[in-house]
Amino acid sequence: MLFQWGMRRQKKQMNDGVQQEGDDHSGEVADVPQEPMSAELAVNIDIIRRATGESDDVVIRRFSLGQEKQMKAAVVFVDGLVDEKNVYEFLLTPLLTASFPLALEEKERLQWIEQKLAAVGGVKHVADWKLLFCELFSGATVMMIDGTSFAICASTKGGQYRSIEEPQTQIAVRGPREGFTESLRTNTAMIRRRIKNPNLWLETMQIGTVTQTDVAIMYVKGIANDEIIEEVKKRLRRIDIDGVLESGYIEQLIEDQTFTPFPTTYHTERPDIVAANLLEGRVAIFVEGTPFVLVAPALFIQFFQAVEDYYARFDIATALRFLRVLIFFISLVAPAAYIAGTMFHQEMIPTLLVIAIAAQREAVPFPAFVEALIMEVTFEILREAGIRLPRAVGQAVSIVGALVIGQAAVEAGLVSSAMVIVVSITAIASFATPSFAIAISARLIRFALMFLAAMFGFYGIMMGLLVMTIHLCSLRSFGVPYMSPLAPFMPSNMGDTLFRLPTWMFRERPRLISQKNIVRQSGDQKPQQPTPSRQGKGDES
Amino acid sequence: MESSKINVRQLFVLIVLFEHGSAVVIPLGVSAKQDVWISILLSLAIGLLLFFVYRRLFEYYPDQPLTAYLPQIVGAPLGKLLAIVYITYFLYIAARVLRDFGELLLTFAYPETPLFVLNAIMAVTVMYGVYKGIEVLARTGELFLIVLYFLAIIGFVLVFVSGIVDVTQLQPMLEEGWRRVWKTVFTETLYVPFGEMIVFTMLFPYINTPTKVGRAGVVGMVLSGINLALIMAINVAILGPDTVSRSSFPLLDTIRRVQVADFLERLDVFFMITLITGGFFKISIFFYAGIVGAANLFGISSYRRLVYPLGLLILILSVVIASNYAEHIQEGLKIVTFYLHVPLQVIIPVLLLIIAAIRRRFNQPAK
Amino acid sequence: MKRAFALFISLTAYVCLLAGCWSQRELTDLAFVIAIGLDKTEEGEYLASLQVVNPGNVAGAVPRGGGAGGVPVSIYTSTGDSVSEASRKATEKVSRLLYYAHTNLVVVSEELAREGLDEVFDAMERHHQFRTTAKLVIARGHSAKEVLSVLTPIDKISARQIIQMLKFSELAWGETSNIDIWRTVRDIAVSQRNPVMTGVAIEGDPRKGKRQENVQSSVPDARIKLDGLALFKNDRLVRWVDGPTARGMMWVLERIQHTNLTVPWEGKKEAIGYRTTRSKTKVKAKIKNGRPSISIHIIAEGELSESRIPINLADTSLLFRLEKELERSAKEDVTKAIKAAQREKTDVFGFGAAVHRAAPRLWKKIEKEWHDRYFPELDVTVTTDMHIRRTRMWDKPY
Repeated sequence: MLFQWGMRRQKKQMNDGVQQEGDDHSGEVADVPQEPMSAELAVNIDIIRRATGESDDVVIRRFSLGQEKQMKAAVVFVDGLVDEKNVYEFLLTPLLTASFPLALEEKERLQWIEQKLAAVGGVKHVADWKLLFCELFSGATVMMIDGTSFAICASTKGGQYRSIEEPQTQIAVRGPREGFTESLRTNTAMIRRRIKNPNLWLETMQIGTVTQTDVAIMYVKGIANDEIIEEVKKRLRRIDIDGVLESGYIEQLIEDQTFTPFPTTYHTERPDIVAANLLEGRVAIFVEGTPFVLVAPALFIQFFQAVEDYYARFDIATALRFLRVLIFFISLVAPAAYIAGTMFHQEMIPTLLVIAIAAQREAVPFPAFVEALIMEVTFEILREAGIRLPRAVGQAVSIVGALVIGQAAVEAGLVSSAMVIVVSITAIASFATPSFAIAISARLIRFALMFLAAMFGFYGIMMGLLVMTIHLCSLRSFGVPYMSPLAPFMPSNMGDTLFRLPTWMFRERPRLISQKNIVRQSGDQKPQQPTPSRQGKGDES
Repeated sequence: MESSKINVRQLFVLIVLFEHGSAVVIPLGVSAKQDVWISILLSLAIGLLLFFVYRRLFEYYPDQPLTAYLPQIVGAPLGKLLAIVYITYFLYIAARVLRDFGELLLTFAYPETPLFVLNAIMAVTVMYGVYKGIEVLARTGELFLIVLYFLAIIGFVLVFVSGIVDVTQLQPMLEEGWRRVWKTVFTETLYVPFGEMIVFTMLFPYINTPTKVGRAGVVGMVLSGINLALIMAINVAILGPDTVSRSSFPLLDTIRRVQVADFLERLDVFFMITLITGGFFKISIFFYAGIVGAANLFGISSYRRLVYPLGLLILILSVVIASNYAEHIQEGLKIVTFYLHVPLQVIIPVLLLIIAAIRRRFNQPAK
Repeated sequence: MKRAFALFISLTAYVCLLAGCWSQRELTDLAFVIAIGLDKTEEGEYLASLQVVNPGNVAGAVPRGGGAGGVPVSIYTSTGDSVSEASRKATEKVSRLLYYAHTNLVVVSEELAREGLDEVFDAMERHHQFRTTAKLVIARGHSAKEVLSVLTPIDKISARQIIQMLKFSELAWGETSNIDIWRTVRDIAVSQRNPVMTGVAIEGDPRKGKRQENVQSSVPDARIKLDGLALFKNDRLVRWVDGPTARGMMWVLERIQHTNLTVPWEGKKEAIGYRTTRSKTKVKAKIKNGRPSISIHIIAEGELSESRIPINLADTSLLFRLEKELERSAKEDVTKAIKAAQREKTDVFGFGAAVHRAAPRLWKKIEKEWHDRYFPELDVTVTTDMHIRRTRMWDKPY
């Protein structure tokens, strides 16, 4: 299964004889020697050295097998990708100490070696250079024996990975503290630990003609909608790119619509979120080398649901969700509403407020729109600087930002303090949105709405929001309407949208996502009062 | 034909938004003075009868819009002619509603902005929505209905809390007898908004459960009728019958009188949201019906190709239709009602139904 | 498809560029007219006085430059044959665009009110900026311009001071009425009732009142006070009523929330004070032999607020007798008020509306002559029902 998709496609391209410049991106891999493996060890080693450009981290150790030391052999591995202890203790030591029977046939040799290497997992023989290099760079140790035209690859993956830490982007007060790491295996294992069920299926493929990145899709067979699984696979197979360095590459290549500010796949660092989504019938896409796992299909409402909602009590969770929608709305329209209010609709502001704002704006030399634009852009610059700068300097930026922008600009009469308040509220609101992906969309749309507000006041804002809503309603994520279950409205799924009903009332999975296996729990789980034993029917009277 | 389907709930939502459309903001049936709510409810009752006519026609010709079964009922040449008349009618009413909308917006918030610009923005948005299709419009409607209801509830609470409702202004009931009420029904409120349900004959084929069309229509119309009657009754109770009949936008005047806790005042933006969303859906539905009919009649593969040319047409039409607001209103009350609404909403559909029923009766034994 | 998209984009861009800056006004370009005063000049023209807020000098302004210490409002005046002309002429004197959306107060001089207000309201109602929730008062004794010129100490903007006074005075005392313009316009327009408006007077010297020093003293040289109710016949002021008569009017109009009643007890004047907390008025019309009559029933509840004589307030029978006394007192006020209105032949109570409701047919016949013929001779029965619910913190006075 490994490597297959990449290979198939490559062959196809070669057969088609397409010789365009654009196809050059697969050229590097084609540098792998075309000839079959030689039976001579020295030739093979030479080929490897040439192919890797004699890179220092490709370690080649020659040795002789057996007590008689007659059979020449070599192991090749990439320093840093393998667990060296494994290589020496469990791979080399048994081979060096055992007596190697020379008379054996090729096939029997393999069996013999496999027996000796029982302590190492994943031993296979490889006769193809491409496959060999793939194994080598995935952390396998390749063993070659003189006179044999194949190599033996033993899985010795190891080396340094970041350990499991608390997720950085999606912080929850209550809930598991572990987040995904850059290692795909670690990540899938975290899900396996949560869903101990043979129906949790995992399929791996390599994407990226140069990088050969492992990409795994995971779903619960029997809950997930087969059509969606097929759709995801189909879209992944269609990808033909030189490299995949982060799940963002995959996200952009498989999303339904590119020209939208809204994310149509969900990404997360938290294994509990992925597990919960798998149980709702969604498909998770893991990418080697990034802690961000994609979940598809994604619905608009999902971006307002924090994982804690399910751990907290339902009334609190519901209140918080409404708050988040409010937050999203504020971060969208607050500056635009300020512009519209001060430039067009002074009559709609209560008298005392409008006079207070007018008093502040007395000495401000800019029109309200320019003032708002300056402040918003300044804030975006500060935010960007805050993210990029090292932590120690970041503090300085926030001090300078707060002092310069907040205090000095107001005192100098460049901006009004009302504007500073509006910008701050917007900023805080956009930080409070649980999903970064949707907060970024809001940032973009905010500027568009500000322009509309500057031209047409509330009419412009309303039309902007109307177009935005039409756009949202026309979006689909892997065939599922993006705004469901709000539009189309599905009463049976309303329990987990803006509202979060008590857990015992979640009888059904989202309809459009999981179509076969809808019922998720039995219907009579409402916590019961213990039946009074002494009084019996007495409490009726 | 667009293949997408909408469900019964979405049809209901579209009907409710359509019926409220511009009707909540204009002085609907105010010539009945304090009995305006009675004439709205009576119009609702008669409007329901008309709706049953439309539905019956649809039952005879399921999967087809009005413009497609017209030739089948009255024969090709006349039927095609009628179809063109209906398409023109829908587009013309779309332009009229657009004009209404632009005038309202201009008068109360944007006095210096040219009408063309205000209309153009709305037209562009409508074109975008219609381009995306009826399914998307219906979904958008579902979201906006929630928003509107939310606003309506807040509005009601504020109106009652601010203590400006004086129910005695609704009395005396039927001061001048039933005549004034019936006159209002047959000259105004029956056609706008209830008779305008004729436009939904173009949308019925998109419903995925055709048997439930009747229920959605009746519930939607009854709900809208009651809401409109209630809103107009509140307008009268606040402004008084005299002021209501003088005012250009009774709802705006009502909202402007709300003053709660010294801060919740000047809530014009409520009115604006209602106006814009209502206007949008009403124009969109008329426009959609018009271009779908045109595409169907002239055998154009995708109605989408007509969105831009006909969108521009209604935009320009909306501006040149009348030279001033008074003329526009005059046209609406006199000419459009008697020469367009009455024949196209009442007479022709009823005749069609009779002809279709006769054809059925004579054809069926033959089969 | 691509062409259509291009068309869409170009159309949008076109519209956006076209839009420019219509209907757009910066806050700093606006002169907020917070109050309008209307007088009549000797030549018979209107004299409009616009009280414009000076935003740099109101509370909340960021003090910068030399602006601090100035007056919070300034008055611009101009004359014209019509109200709108007069107010428009004022633009010649103001550096900003006059903006009427926040006009919360209209002051009309007594002279003008006596001549008739009909012309005044149309321009206001029709103007899209103007709100009919503005308050309307009549300047009593002085011109509207003088009233608006007086600087006030607590609420810096004097229009706001008057509005607040109107609100709280009606709430706490009930001898003045807090009326929005739309009510007045409605009352003028219909035949069933006539409007009542509150008077505003200046206490002290109006010439000193417009100087900054006025608000720097704890006892200002000039103060604004509310003073009585103006009865209108259609759009003309016909009479002022004050004190208990004005309160009687407010009882009938059901605008009393809190008020103080004092009744004599055992020969001592104003011996017992009573404060209402809630009141309700029912006006009913009855038709007998084609002649309408009105019955008014007032229910109020409240508490004893003061007792200047030693009586035992824990004694229920005493409280009943007190209630009777209060009822008599309130009834007296109401009767006085009705008499006053009948004398001026103006139905400010809306009895006409009650008759209209009760007998629409009859009303059609008598509508034209209602104020002049039927109302003055109207038979009005007043019943009052006062409840003393509490006696405050103490049962007995010291």
